[in-house]
Amino acid sequence: MKEAYIVSAVRTPGCKRAKGAFKDTLPLDLLSFILKSSVEKIPQLDPRDIDDVMVGCAFPEAEQGLNIGRNASKLAGFPDKVSGATVNRFCASGLEAIADSALRIISGWADVTIGAGIESMTYVPMGGNMPRPYPPADEEEIKLFIAMGTTAENVANRYNITREQQDEFAYHSQMKAANAQKNGLYTEIVPTPATRFAAQANGTFKRETFLQDFDDGVRADTTVEGLAKLRPAFSLTGSVTAGNSSQTTDGAAAAVLMSAEKVKALGIKPIAKFKLFTTVGCRSDEMGVGPRYAIPKLLDKAGLTIDDIGLWEINEAFASQALYCIRELGLEKYMDRINVNGGAIALGHPLGCTGAKLCATLLANMQARGAKYGVESMCIGGGMGAAALFELCE
Amino acid sequence: MARKIRQAAVIGSGVMGGGIAALLASAGIKTLLLDIVPPDIKADAKNDPKARNRIVAAGLENVRKARPAALMHPKEIELITIGNMEDDFDRLADADWIVEVVVENLKIKQDLLKRVEKVRKATAIVSSNTSGIPLKSMSAGLSSGFKQHFLGTHFFNPVRYMKLLEIIPGEETLPEVLQFMADFGERKLGKGIVWAKDTPNFIGNRIGTQSMARTMQLVVEEGLTVPEVDALFGPAMGRPKTAMFKTTDLVGLDIMVHVARNTYDLVEDDEARDSFVLPDFVNNMMEKKLLGNKTKAGFYKTELTPEWKKIRKVIDLKTLEYSTYDAPEFPCLAAARKAATDEEKMQAMVFGDDKGSRFVWRAVAENLIYAANRIPEIADTIVEVDNAMRWGFGMERGPFEGWDLMGVARVVERMEKDGLKVPDKIKKMLSAGNANFYKVEGGKRFFYDFATESYKPIEASPTMISLEMLKADNKVVMGNASATLVDLGDGVFCAEFHTKMNSLNDQIIEFLEKAHDYVDANGVGLVIGNQAGGMPGAFSAGADLRQVREAAGAGAFAEIEASIKRLQGAIQHSRYCPYPVVAAPFGLALGGGCEICLGVDRIVAHAELYMGQVEIGVGLLPGGTGCSALWRKVLENIPESVGELELTKFFISVFQAIAMAKVSTSAAEARATGFLGPKDRIVFNRDHLIGEAKKEVLRMVEDGYTPPVKRPLRVFGEAAIGIVNAELLNMQAAGYVSEYDAYLVRRIAGVIGGGQSRTGGYMSEDALLALERDTFVDLLRQEKTIARIDHMLKTGKPLRN
Repeated sequence: MKEAYIVSAVRTPGCKRAKGAFKDTLPLDLLSFILKSSVEKIPQLDPRDIDDVMVGCAFPEAEQGLNIGRNASKLAGFPDKVSGATVNRFCASGLEAIADSALRIISGWADVTIGAGIESMTYVPMGGNMPRPYPPADEEEIKLFIAMGTTAENVANRYNITREQQDEFAYHSQMKAANAQKNGLYTEIVPTPATRFAAQANGTFKRETFLQDFDDGVRADTTVEGLAKLRPAFSLTGSVTAGNSSQTTDGAAAAVLMSAEKVKALGIKPIAKFKLFTTVGCRSDEMGVGPRYAIPKLLDKAGLTIDDIGLWEINEAFASQALYCIRELGLEKYMDRINVNGGAIALGHPLGCTGAKLCATLLANMQARGAKYGVESMCIGGGMGAAALFELCE
Repeated sequence: MARKIRQAAVIGSGVMGGGIAALLASAGIKTLLLDIVPPDIKADAKNDPKARNRIVAAGLENVRKARPAALMHPKEIELITIGNMEDDFDRLADADWIVEVVVENLKIKQDLLKRVEKVRKATAIVSSNTSGIPLKSMSAGLSSGFKQHFLGTHFFNPVRYMKLLEIIPGEETLPEVLQFMADFGERKLGKGIVWAKDTPNFIGNRIGTQSMARTMQLVVEEGLTVPEVDALFGPAMGRPKTAMFKTTDLVGLDIMVHVARNTYDLVEDDEARDSFVLPDFVNNMMEKKLLGNKTKAGFYKTELTPEWKKIRKVIDLKTLEYSTYDAPEFPCLAAARKAATDEEKMQAMVFGDDKGSRFVWRAVAENLIYAANRIPEIADTIVEVDNAMRWGFGMERGPFEGWDLMGVARVVERMEKDGLKVPDKIKKMLSAGNANFYKVEGGKRFFYDFATESYKPIEASPTMISLEMLKADNKVVMGNASATLVDLGDGVFCAEFHTKMNSLNDQIIEFLEKAHDYVDANGVGLVIGNQAGGMPGAFSAGADLRQVREAAGAGAFAEIEASIKRLQGAIQHSRYCPYPVVAAPFGLALGGGCEICLGVDRIVAHAELYMGQVEIGVGLLPGGTGCSALWRKVLENIPESVGELELTKFFISVFQAIAMAKVSTSAAEARATGFLGPKDRIVFNRDHLIGEAKKEVLRMVEDGYTPPVKRPLRVFGEAAIGIVNAELLNMQAAGYVSEYDAYLVRRIAGVIGGGQSRTGGYMSEDALLALERDTFVDLLRQEKTIARIDHMLKTGKPLRN
């Protein structure tokens, strides 16, 4: 077995669906830009040496369809010979793409690969343009198609996660993000060209480009009292609100992976080693519990304990599920190691992009803080959890 | 010159100004709404256009939020542009009609009209919505050209819902201008036009306020309580449920007081001037700001218990304290309830010998005398007075129509006995052998004209077809106890329902079959419509639920199925028969009433239309074609050129309309929901509805009508089931639907989608109808559906079991 190193990991900002900075930016533009940027970080790398590009996307259809993985590689300016694929594991798609890319290297099939993620929730809404739940499904089977908000309510109800806990968690996510924004801590962001259709005097529009360099959903003025006033979004008597759920956003992220030989040959200092990846299934109607099972499985395989992990990125699909997983994993004592610059409640959860986005964020933070081990994990629609382990390169 | 109102302008954005602007916008007319720059504008905001438009913007916001809705569809607000009277005054130059609705102050109105005179285009019509200020004072000193285009247009609140529009000619108004505005008001805005004169408070408010103020005086004299008066002067007397005091709470006591005082000041020569002096309790309530709903307390107020239960309390007129109350009872009310005819009912109320009836008599008798004495002072004929009271105050009949029911001679006799001064013109009328104010002869209605001392026909536009008059003129072709076929002339017939709420029953189905046979043999087309009274009234409020319940209770499911099949057949026939069929719905068109409309070639609807398929409320689904017809109606408007479109969004809109029992609150909204298609028409004046429907039939005949070809319909198939199952999982978890709701919703989705079939495949209409019918019958076998029906029959409210 060979070793897979991540030599570059970058992301675009995450911008609010339908009203944010990327509402007119095509997913192909976001993705090809971030692919190109990830390679430009490694000037020694000749794009001809890239073996394959794997791109995670949760709803690979319409503007994200027709194998966006391949098409974006071409638009990024990579030579014809660089192939590309689209990978789908819903909310873990980006991480799955990185893991699949890493496997190519670990197996010796490739020396340089890219793992990435894309989701424009503006262009392709959650659920896709034409959702078709399985008509013959029985009462149990239909739960495969349950709405994510309902699963969050189920987790809150079944495992006693209170509204107050969720709101407080949401508040801290916003505060951490606001702080990081203020202090320029998002070093993994590449200022990204965004499109806007500027109205002309005669009523027509003109396509224009501007640079977007920050996540536009962060609310520095959030208060616990304000959050407490929001109505439940998914149930008459529920506790899950728009304020303590992740934001739906548009974004792209990419990581370049290399074999030890290639790293050496090019004289590159890699960021981290991609150590391990695992997934596990759980009940569909409480899909948010996924990390609670994926993380122990990962640590067990790695022979580590939670105490060994210096930084965590646990996706905040909903405060209820994140809190549940944190509690069950015994991580409450390490709150200062989890989502240190805020999570999806403040920064957004662009579905298929999230796995690659959190990787870029985690690696930036591991470097900044010198954390030896970092774990990224998320829950997955349909009822799954995924987790990956990274080891910082000295 | 071909006069048109391309653009209108309303000056003043208060309740009335906003209401007029909303009505104009609903009628599709671009309207400029102006109001003053806030007098308290801060120095640093002087140049801020937003701050300068603050008042008018608030007025527009009130239009948007008004409940009941001022606009017929929220989108119509786009037709209203706002501005202020300093920066935007010149924009009035573009308006063909400018109506001022500013504060009731002569000086302000005079100054405003002077400014308007300078900017208006030479042909522009200018009108005032004042109710109290004489037009001649307002326009004094203005040019003749202005005066020729100046008149009074007095709307009533709420503008969209009150039918009355009083038109008051100015001294020099051109007849052509008056006629144009009357026609515009009647056809485009749907109003009932009453010709008034430039006298204080015109007709409606003059007669209405005399009645109210004098009744309040009598309340003190006779010692009645507020609920007693409201029980007597409500539906028992053909007046709205809100009767007198509840209506005053709605309107605002201050408004009523303002009109009464204003009238008192202006009618110096009035023989009954003192009847406008309000009793002390009114003044005391004014002082304590007990003005009605706007101050949360008036004659009534609603309190909430700690358990959020509403308690209604009423004022004691002596102490002004509030307490709870029971429904009052009088022998006259009991007698009125038993009465078989309107005459008996009215006479029971007026001529009884209990305290309540004595009070009613005094209040009514004096108002009748007052009204008779006002002709020709405020109106030329009794028709104007009666129309004003009906249309402006929601009464079933005006004073003279009521007088006819009581018996003119009998009333006069009692008046004389009581020492009341009977107007000479009434005595003359009686002594000449004319026993009634109105009569019907040869299908025409006549009124007694005091001026010529003879009966004259009531003139109306030819489009105002009255089924009642046609029936009186032997134009009934056939019918039974539930429905009648009336000959409208020119080969067009009208199928008129006349059951309670015009709900469908077996008799109506049988009638429709025979009526079709008759029209096929003898006519060119059919109108389905009626002229049931009430506000908003009922075109048809659904199927006769009791009949269905009884059959289900007897286990007669085969009979029910046969009956539904017959209904489906009659409705389908109206689409595929070889002559055009037009439905003319207004008011409630629910369940079966909606199905009738979905089946015809074209709908000519009144603008006030409450259309929907609400069967799920009683545990059923539309079974008489409603499911497949709405699906067909939505699909048939897809242009053929786009090919086989993805059906999800079409399915969801039809499914939601039925599963959520969506009921429109206007014809515009019914169109947005899909009940009305692009070819269906909306008519603003309900009195024109049958006439316009007839015209529509004749137009289609003229165009060489051929019926649509019956083709298989594309269906959403089994995808419907998957989508709805997945969504119900969330809805049920969220507590939005009960288990039985979910069951019903699944069944409905299955029927609209075409059952277990291929998504995007084709099915015959007959197959879809069989599915709809079988499901309907099957639901009647469900215990919880029967419980829902029983609850509805018992309480009138849906049960969520």
